[in-house]
Amino acid sequence: MSIINYASREIQFKIVYYGPALCGKTTNLGYIHQRINPENRGDLVSLATAADRTLFFDFLPLNAVVIKGFVTKFQLYTVPGQVIYNATRQLVLRSVDGVVFVADSQWEKMEENVESFKNLEDNLAKQNISIDEIPYVIQYNKRDLENVAPVNYLEYVLNNRKRRMQSFEVVSSTGQNVFASLNAVSQILLHKFSKQSDAPKTPPAPVVLPVDTPEGATV
Amino acid sequence: MNAIPCLTIDDVASLDAVLAEFLKKAEAELTVVIDRGGNVISQYGDMTVMDVTIIAALAAGSFAATKELARRIGEVEFNALYHQGNGSHIFMNSVDDDTIMITVFGRRTTVGLVRFYSSSTAQSVGTLLKGLSREGHGFSFDASDVTATPLFSDAG
Repeated sequence: MSIINYASREIQFKIVYYGPALCGKTTNLGYIHQRINPENRGDLVSLATAADRTLFFDFLPLNAVVIKGFVTKFQLYTVPGQVIYNATRQLVLRSVDGVVFVADSQWEKMEENVESFKNLEDNLAKQNISIDEIPYVIQYNKRDLENVAPVNYLEYVLNNRKRRMQSFEVVSSTGQNVFASLNAVSQILLHKFSKQSDAPKTPPAPVVLPVDTPEGATV
Repeated sequence: MNAIPCLTIDDVASLDAVLAEFLKKAEAELTVVIDRGGNVISQYGDMTVMDVTIIAALAAGSFAATKELARRIGEVEFNALYHQGNGSHIFMNSVDDDTIMITVFGRRTTVGLVRFYSSSTAQSVGTLLKGLSREGHGFSFDASDVTATPLFSDAG
């Protein structure tokens, strides 16, 4: 849960990168850490095994002045994707404010994507959070590989709910759409807490941002 | 509308007073109150030596990870954890179901002294935080207060 401190004029939000094993969650954080202005970020902390697989989580704190007069601290976490670490995923999801679901676009990973999304729903439900309430976006990662499923198929499989979310074609290793998806989830999150969220409004039509969109573009 | 739980300037001053008193008595360097999700609620002491945000994230993880270990020996959780270094040490203790208190200390004091004073401090902090949740004040902002430009950009 986010928290605001009037004395230091700071707001904190927690965003978790979720997805199946080896889908590119840590690569996302690594790219952001490498490319963002160093003044706006802390150290990237990785708790990984000797084989470089995430054991507990990766953590990257970011700062931005996004609400008039307040420094907003976004805390980015990844979860370990391997199936056996479900207890750890539940711990990392505690007090989550927003999610970036990272799907692996390769055909052979489709079942793992679906299982991981279901696992996300289940783990959120254990905290009494519905997937339909929490701000999230979907990344279709590894679009540079040859054996990838078409985007409309991925949309049908992973983004076919009543509330369809923004999704992005991503190549996390080169950074394509990595910042665009982070900006999108941050904006959805901020607007959830703004006063105008009281007003009834038509949800925006889902948009898949293609890989060749310039970095940092608003969506 | 969703409101963000907030600490007013008075709330922070009350928490700071409790934490300052604790640091003085225990002769510790820094104390941080965090929620179990890793968010910093309040902090007091010498913050130049480390990134408090990272300490909070790792401490929350450490506390949560040992909970399962505690269960194996028939405990609900360990109420306190102590990490001993060569010159700097960390002591963590549970405040309530949602909150943890972390204390960083060095050679000037002992773990016994920190442990002794942290227990009553945790009680005071817990009472203060309970009062805040009863008052239930929250913060929300106008959509126009949020910057329209991308929050984060690829600096290259």
